[in-house]
Amino acid sequence: MSTVETGTQAEQPLLRDIPEDEFEARYGCDRFTATVLANRYRYTVEHMCAGLLSNAFSIILRDWYDFAATIAGPPRDNYSMPAVSNSLVLFLGTMTDAIRNTVQEYGPEKLRPGDVLMCNDPYRTGTHVNDVNFVRPIFHEEEIAGFVNLQAHMLDMGGVVPGGFSGTKRNVYENGVVIAPQLLYAEDRAVTSGWSLIFDNARFGDVLLPDIKTIYENLRLGERLLSETLERYGIRAFHGAMRYACDIAGEAMHHALRALPDGDYAGEDRIDCDGVDDEEEFTVRVTIRKRGGRAEVDLSGSSRQARTSINAGWLDAKTAVGVAFKFLIDRETPFTSATFRDIDIVLPDGSLVSALPPDGAIFLYWESTMPLVNAILRALEDAVGERAVGGDYGSLSIHSASGATADGTPWATMAQCGGEHGPWGATSTGDADSYNVFYLANNIDPATEAIEADFPVLVMRKEYVADTAGAGYHRGGAAVLKDTLWTEGVEHYSSPMHVKSASGFGVGGGGDGRNGAVWVFEPEAFDPSALIPDTPEAYAGTTPVAGVLDPETHALREDGEYFFFARVPMWQTEPNTVFRYLTNGGGGWGNPFERDPERVKRDVRDGYVTIEGAERDYGVVITGDPDRDPEGLEIDSAATEAKRAEPAG
Amino acid sequence: MLGVDVGGTFTDVVAFRDGRIVTTKVPTDTREPERGVLQGAEELGVDDAAVFNHASTAGVNAIITRRLPKVAFLTTEGHRDILDIGRAWRPLSAMTDPTWRRSFGDAASPLVPRYLRRGIAERMTASGEEAIALDEDQAREQLQVLSRCDGVQGVAVCLLNAYVDARHEVRLRELVAEELGDGVECSISSDVSPLAKEYARASTTVVDVFMKIIYSRYTERLGSGLREMGFGGRLNFADCAAMLVDSDFAMQAPFRIVFSGPAAGTVSGAHFGGLIGDENLLCADVGGTSCDISLVTAGQPFVQTEFELEHDLVVNALSNEISSIGAGGGSIVSISPAGEMRVGPASAGADPGPACYGKGGTEPTLTDACLLMGILDAERFAAGRMALDAAAAQNAFEGLETSIDPDQRAPQAYLMGLNNIAEGIVDIAVKHGVDPRDYSLLAYGAAGGMLLPAALELVHARRVIVPPHPGLFSALGLLSSDLVYADSRSAYTVLTPDAAGPVDEVYRQMEDGLRERLGADAHDVRFERSMDARLVGQTWDTPFIPVPQDTIDAAAIETMIESFHVAYQERAGNRFDALPVQGVTYRVQAIVPVDKVSYPHSDRREGQSLQASRTIQLRDLDGSTYESEEYERDDLRAGDRIEGPAVIREELSTTRVGTGQTATVGDYGEIVIEQGGGR
Amino acid sequence: MHTFPRPAEATVSVAREPVEGECAACGAQELRSYPVLSEGGWFRVVKCQRCLVSKSREPWNLAGSITFLSEQV
Ligand SMILES: [Zn+2]
Repeated sequence: MSTVETGTQAEQPLLRDIPEDEFEARYGCDRFTATVLANRYRYTVEHMCAGLLSNAFSIILRDWYDFAATIAGPPRDNYSMPAVSNSLVLFLGTMTDAIRNTVQEYGPEKLRPGDVLMCNDPYRTGTHVNDVNFVRPIFHEEEIAGFVNLQAHMLDMGGVVPGGFSGTKRNVYENGVVIAPQLLYAEDRAVTSGWSLIFDNARFGDVLLPDIKTIYENLRLGERLLSETLERYGIRAFHGAMRYACDIAGEAMHHALRALPDGDYAGEDRIDCDGVDDEEEFTVRVTIRKRGGRAEVDLSGSSRQARTSINAGWLDAKTAVGVAFKFLIDRETPFTSATFRDIDIVLPDGSLVSALPPDGAIFLYWESTMPLVNAILRALEDAVGERAVGGDYGSLSIHSASGATADGTPWATMAQCGGEHGPWGATSTGDADSYNVFYLANNIDPATEAIEADFPVLVMRKEYVADTAGAGYHRGGAAVLKDTLWTEGVEHYSSPMHVKSASGFGVGGGGDGRNGAVWVFEPEAFDPSALIPDTPEAYAGTTPVAGVLDPETHALREDGEYFFFARVPMWQTEPNTVFRYLTNGGGGWGNPFERDPERVKRDVRDGYVTIEGAERDYGVVITGDPDRDPEGLEIDSAATEAKRAEPAG
Repeated sequence: MLGVDVGGTFTDVVAFRDGRIVTTKVPTDTREPERGVLQGAEELGVDDAAVFNHASTAGVNAIITRRLPKVAFLTTEGHRDILDIGRAWRPLSAMTDPTWRRSFGDAASPLVPRYLRRGIAERMTASGEEAIALDEDQAREQLQVLSRCDGVQGVAVCLLNAYVDARHEVRLRELVAEELGDGVECSISSDVSPLAKEYARASTTVVDVFMKIIYSRYTERLGSGLREMGFGGRLNFADCAAMLVDSDFAMQAPFRIVFSGPAAGTVSGAHFGGLIGDENLLCADVGGTSCDISLVTAGQPFVQTEFELEHDLVVNALSNEISSIGAGGGSIVSISPAGEMRVGPASAGADPGPACYGKGGTEPTLTDACLLMGILDAERFAAGRMALDAAAAQNAFEGLETSIDPDQRAPQAYLMGLNNIAEGIVDIAVKHGVDPRDYSLLAYGAAGGMLLPAALELVHARRVIVPPHPGLFSALGLLSSDLVYADSRSAYTVLTPDAAGPVDEVYRQMEDGLRERLGADAHDVRFERSMDARLVGQTWDTPFIPVPQDTIDAAAIETMIESFHVAYQERAGNRFDALPVQGVTYRVQAIVPVDKVSYPHSDRREGQSLQASRTIQLRDLDGSTYESEEYERDDLRAGDRIEGPAVIREELSTTRVGTGQTATVGDYGEIVIEQGGGR
Repeated sequence: MHTFPRPAEATVSVAREPVEGECAACGAQELRSYPVLSEGGWFRVVKCQRCLVSKSREPWNLAGSITFLSEQV
């Protein structure tokens, strides 16, 4: 099938304006039914997710919501995706192609009712090997009418690192087992070879088994709901409404693009290094060409792939491009496969975000696609005007740890005890929150009490730090400081990827968020009867994991020395060791010297900004003792006026 | 007996006296809500009443509007931001929206601003060890900071792992009283909701202290006001599951009454359903701004263990699960950027109200659509107290920017509103795995009868039932419930024979405590036990597993384990016998049966058959008009049968019977509408 | 899986091959051929560099330039 585009797109009538009879001819149902069914598809995926969340066993599903559900159209509609669940944004852009690639490689003609296909290969389906796609066809009169799909993170998929979360694995062989498209269930009977492939290569099979069975039940739930819909509305409306839901999204993005000034825009962002050494920085560079309702996003000039598992794959790059565009110009319309209808991505092979097998290992893929989002936010900062968005905390600095209990039972925690959640950048609508899931994801923050009930660790501190947020007319979110005290001997992997340059860049004159760092406090370096203070002096006896720090005091210093995170690939610690994670701050929006002094005073009262910071970053002079008498603070108006009148610099 | 349902706009008062239901509706006084209540009570008279049952939306409204007293929050040092963090996730609508902010976060409208959230030097572990002792000097210093602040009225305390060991919280409560005085209310999380996962426990504790402040003085003033009127009976409050408890008991844990209003409707439905022998109900309360949908199965409302006041603003309280759809009489009709007709969630409210109210509203609403379709009578709306302006409604619809034929706009808006309601109903049915075809749709609220019969076809419910007094049906729920004293304890226990002793002890303690509270009521009390449990390795519980009523021994533990597996398979599709079961929360309810409202019988017709009062013109969905009979509800008698199209009018409500539908009148005057049965 | 070597250069780029002819939409003689990733997966396009209208879009491999050894069995 080859298509030719002709003419300008301006002549296309809006969906809202096409007459009812034409609508019926195009979508096989009236407008009303199409709207009803588009809603039904969104409800269906939410029900599948709710069922999985509340009955899951592994920490990553039950406490993190690390999965997503979608509906896909039939092969002849090219597996278009009319609905995705409210969960990992990271999966939105990958799943349409993932379902198509899985089914096409297996062979759609071989599928039978009651089958479940699985595939987890990052080069075929995006994300990482732990995210297994489970695909179930829906049949109508012996033909495939569509698919219900769950992509869910499995606690382990083999490889050299328990749980897999590490930026130090050097190839696909170290990374974990790759499952090419194959059956897990055939006509609702378990396919033993498929289950064994997982159980014989992955750790924690006793958790995977009930998790996967729960996934299977929720695929069946999705199938039942869609079959009822099919029976009620008929196959023409069923497919027409899928196309309609996609077209609505395609049209919205198209019009958002038209509203953007034509031009060529460039932006970039980088991560510090890979897991081999700190000789090579990795840059993601975009050139956006925008003409009328079309855009082309070219990543030429980006760094080649890294030597360890911090790479992303081509589908992850696609997701990041879609999300960045939606963030800037099309926030409200639901995400579907047609979000990309008028966006072409020009993606060189073997880049940091299009790594190749077997040496371009992919695991911490979001660490590389977050800079891609940032590069686009930066490139379009001026073009979108007030709608510009500053950067978020930029890296999950993901932490994983493992060990064994007294009776030898192995345990592993992942994405719970590092800097996984943090601040966003401010926008035209106001200050940013300080504790969010990063732009490319959406999930649940694991409760401290749930973590402590399961693992030999105490989360001693999880709190915001003053003067870390990017200053602005609207302030960015503040950085999060997290201290975890490990009460037993433990093996850790820590992957802070973005501490050299600001990830939380400001926009429209807003300031950058301060950069974070990671430290290890050995038992002799702190007093266990109290919290470790957050002062420059506290770090003298620490071992830095990563950060730009004073080489002597190990405190943050902008012109300090970079400490390379993977110089110790795996941290083996004594009982009563503390890991401290400080995230990056979020970017500010607009000129901080124009921020209402009352709002600055409120930030001082609330500990987001210090008295010194208020004067330095906002030009607002405040007197009083915010700690002991927070309601007694006062603005020195004369001094503020004078300060704000000083020439910049 | 009296029931009072204090809503945002109106306070509904119902009484059941000498076999008759008496009702009145008075405006709500939002500043001093007890005034409206007392006024309504006076109208109906309370001196002979044995009970006065009360539900209110004052608590939830105070939270949603942030018109809140100043309270502080104490937690383990290093964790004061748990109230800002919530569970971190954002709603579906914000998946790709960088402007999204947590509604209760510091960047938006926090319930407790950050400077009033203070860290206390102390630390317990998950196994109940004291990792850091409580530093009382540091705690006093923090409390002194609060005393320097102007007018802190309450303190919520939630320390990490206090669900395992409460001693630091208990001591802190003493220090709060010492430093801030007895006049400051204090709630501690280990009392309020001793469950793991600190955020939900903390937010529940904060809500509790707010409710203490909001309701304690109100309760006093209400109680004394009633006594002055000669009321000598018992004042009861409905909780979030519309279970009644006496006001003293309610004030010990007032977070449970934060959301008491809507639940009463569900209980009313369950009670009425029992009366007419229909025990599977989809209850739909269509009011001015929303349609509240809930489920009654086998005569029981579906009760959940937590709910959200706003996205992610969690309260750990038993509540009737009610899902609210933005489709009420005042829901605004609009056109989306994609050209789709939208109904709600915005509402014109009571002021300006729908365009046809003529109070300045210019946007069309569902009420305007019903008026233009002829379902509402412009002259007889709200018992004739207000004439509706059809031209204003027409103008509002014509003002929509859409290519849809002007004559079809009102019918399409009506259909879209119906569809939203239908999706909400299907949604709640799916969530609970029930098939709507086994359920009757109970239609109440002032707008229930004019919308829901038309939804019958969309949801495939068995039939629609419009009960008597549909506009005051929720308030009648307050006269439809037993007194229930509930207690629960959380103790994470893997269920093995060894667990029998401790679990037995937990139930014995709770039941002894309740018996003591009940005093004179204790003789005819019935206890009901259940537990929330999970498979080892899960963190979300499967609630309400039945627990044997006798001594918990090894055999009883076996029964509990089996009951869990049976329930789990029913609800989640799988059975994992190899995995141990862990009990989480043990629940007891002490149920004291009390008299309830009974609905008067409708007599069978004798002599002349039912006559329509007149024939009116209705507009069809395609814009064309057709004729319909109009009836008066007061004229209906048990056994009457009406074939659609027809409209049945009563004082505060209208019921529409669609073409092809048949309405029959039941023994209690209820209108039962079924598909077919006609020509 | 095929073996793809890590690029030798520090940065990578997509080559756009010039194609004869003129854009049907804007008339520019700036057509180029290269692969793109969009709705529906990978395509080989011939596209006007001035107005971004495609002269042709041929669906390409499922995984773009990544191919699998099993295809050769
Ligand atoms: Zn051109």
